[in-house]
Amino acid sequence: MSATLFDKVWSRHVVSQTDEATLLYIDRHLVHEVTSPQAFDGMRLANRKVRRPELTFATPDHNVPTVNQLEIRDALSRRQVETLRNNCKEFGITLLDIGSGRQGIVHVVGPELGLTLPGLTMVCGDSHTSTHGAFGALAFGIGTSEVEHVLATQTLWQGRKPKSLGVEVTGMLAPGLEPKDIILAIIRQIGTGGGTGHVMEYYGPGIRALSMEGRMTICNMSIEGGARAGMIAPDDVTFDYISSIDRQYAPRGVTLEAAIADWRTLITDDDNGFDRKIHIDASKLVPQVTWGTNPGMTVDITGVIPQPHEVPFATADDARRSLEYMGLTPGTPISEVPVDVVFIGSCTNGRIEDLRIAAKVMKGRKVAEGVQVLVVPGSEKVLAQAVAEGLDKIFSEAGAEWRQAGCSMCLAMNPDKLKPGQRSASTSNRNFEGRQGPGGRTHLVSPSMAAAAAVTGRFTDVRTLLA
Amino acid sequence: MEPFRTHTGRMAVLDWSDVNTDLIIPARYLKRIERIGYGPLLFADKRYVPGGAPLPDEPENAGEYDPDFPLNRPEYRGATILVVGPNFGCGSSREHAVWAVHQAGYKAVIAPVPDEGFADIFEGNSLNNGLLVAEIAESDWKNLVSLGQGSPSTEITVNLETQQVYYPADGHMAQASFSIPESARHQMLNGLDSIGITISDNGLAIDTFEKTRPAWS
Ligand code: SF4
Repeated sequence: MSATLFDKVWSRHVVSQTDEATLLYIDRHLVHEVTSPQAFDGMRLANRKVRRPELTFATPDHNVPTVNQLEIRDALSRRQVETLRNNCKEFGITLLDIGSGRQGIVHVVGPELGLTLPGLTMVCGDSHTSTHGAFGALAFGIGTSEVEHVLATQTLWQGRKPKSLGVEVTGMLAPGLEPKDIILAIIRQIGTGGGTGHVMEYYGPGIRALSMEGRMTICNMSIEGGARAGMIAPDDVTFDYISSIDRQYAPRGVTLEAAIADWRTLITDDDNGFDRKIHIDASKLVPQVTWGTNPGMTVDITGVIPQPHEVPFATADDARRSLEYMGLTPGTPISEVPVDVVFIGSCTNGRIEDLRIAAKVMKGRKVAEGVQVLVVPGSEKVLAQAVAEGLDKIFSEAGAEWRQAGCSMCLAMNPDKLKPGQRSASTSNRNFEGRQGPGGRTHLVSPSMAAAAAVTGRFTDVRTLLA
Repeated sequence: MEPFRTHTGRMAVLDWSDVNTDLIIPARYLKRIERIGYGPLLFADKRYVPGGAPLPDEPENAGEYDPDFPLNRPEYRGATILVVGPNFGCGSSREHAVWAVHQAGYKAVIAPVPDEGFADIFEGNSLNNGLLVAEIAESDWKNLVSLGQGSPSTEITVNLETQQVYYPADGHMAQASFSIPESARHQMLNGLDSIGITISDNGLAIDTFEKTRPAWS
């Protein structure tokens, strides 16, 4: 019988099954400081142990300052990170701590340490766990009660099995276009609820042509389309990434060879097997910029702010509230909108390749007057690599701030925040009201588009700077 | 968790689409390591006048309510059923969003359109906390919205045993069905601890499964 990649990974992990629920085994459990304290408390109260501490890995990321990381001034942030440290010690879990050389955003460190592998089930108390699906893992975000359930049992109950949504990407990206543009265009097409109840699989020549970094950017934002998870079938690009010598926890030698032989079977047999299918032609894309307060509210860089009644997937009232919050007038070309802050980083676009792309645009240019630019590597390893390549110097010379690893201005839990009314060009994944700080206005873009905004002070078609 | 069988109460209506978890509870409140105290933090950046949102470590110490925020209508005080727009709870996995809704006094949340009413993770988190999330047909939902907005003193009933919402319409009781996965329903009806059940019912199956895992995993 023909099966999808998702079917195959799902069925390999079924521990038991009832009519309406499945108990899935979980191969990797990633933990961060924000969504775990109450779960560990529950474990203590019930006098339970972590079932498989060696499959559980933790790192602090959301609360970590990106200037002088070791000194967390905010008392609550400090307490939360300390609580994670204590819990890891008490329950015997590996902590990738600040300053260890391995800390970073949980979805950046998992893949780079070789924790993320094809065919695994992976969970984390964090919706962007979908990132790891780029390797052909079934990876999804869970709530704190479920974190506790996985800690105690290494399994998770799933209600109805999600449906599958095949996203075929044909055509190659033109210069100046990036995987971020692909995923923004997909969400724009299906709406932020379009993937609800589904696992998305991205496939086709437009996906095969992408690096692991690019694939992770796409899977990362699956949740922004409402999907439970995003997946991409593993191929030689995946296997090369995993075989790289610094993937500390990845299998080696004959075990790796056997694993790769098995992983090659993790493909969707027939793309007619998806419950639903959509298609996108990457070669036709123009750089994307969100204008509103959810990631589906997007225009081409060559476009204008829409009228409230023209906004798909939103009532005119919803659209008016977004326009008002964003301080935008319908009909204005997006390329005339000025920015105050540029943020390059996050689990969507804080990997080495993203920094290389941004550096290429900023090299030899200066940050526009009055614009603050933060460049934040996604992990300590990304930071070290960027420094080794001299990228930090390119950013500093342009007038950007080169920071330490963490979630930073992706969300307002650490000192990096927008002030009320400030407008950002951000490579992160959510433009919700207040996401980057109360009253802050976020526009989501690719790293090269963020760099272009940094040097011109407004949203600018990066293709004009590459010429 | 507390068992949930049936609940009768008044409605409060917030009919916006795509209400995300950052709106339900802003990130700065996620620094708390406790499981309680989230009620006053629900919709903190919408519910209070500018500057009135409480500090994360002093949730009770909040400013005035903003009269423009729909849930602040005086008639909604004491409402225990929240009627919301589609794709409610989209965005992050933070269970704090569910704790905030629940601890603010809501026992059930009702959204339009089966499969599209609630974001997946929010829905799962709610059921794990005994907060009932019901997705009903759009026509019934529209009736509830007008009822809740037009005559907020009306009481409706959400019954998990029958999986029906009962509401008055034209002098009789109309009903709207919803569906909760059987395992979650069983757990909620009886207020069961899911970890305990998993271990007692499936401990052996987990042991057996673990022996078959490939070496590389
Ligand atoms: S970078 Fe942003 S989206 Fe990613 S884990 Fe951190 S806060 Fe979440």
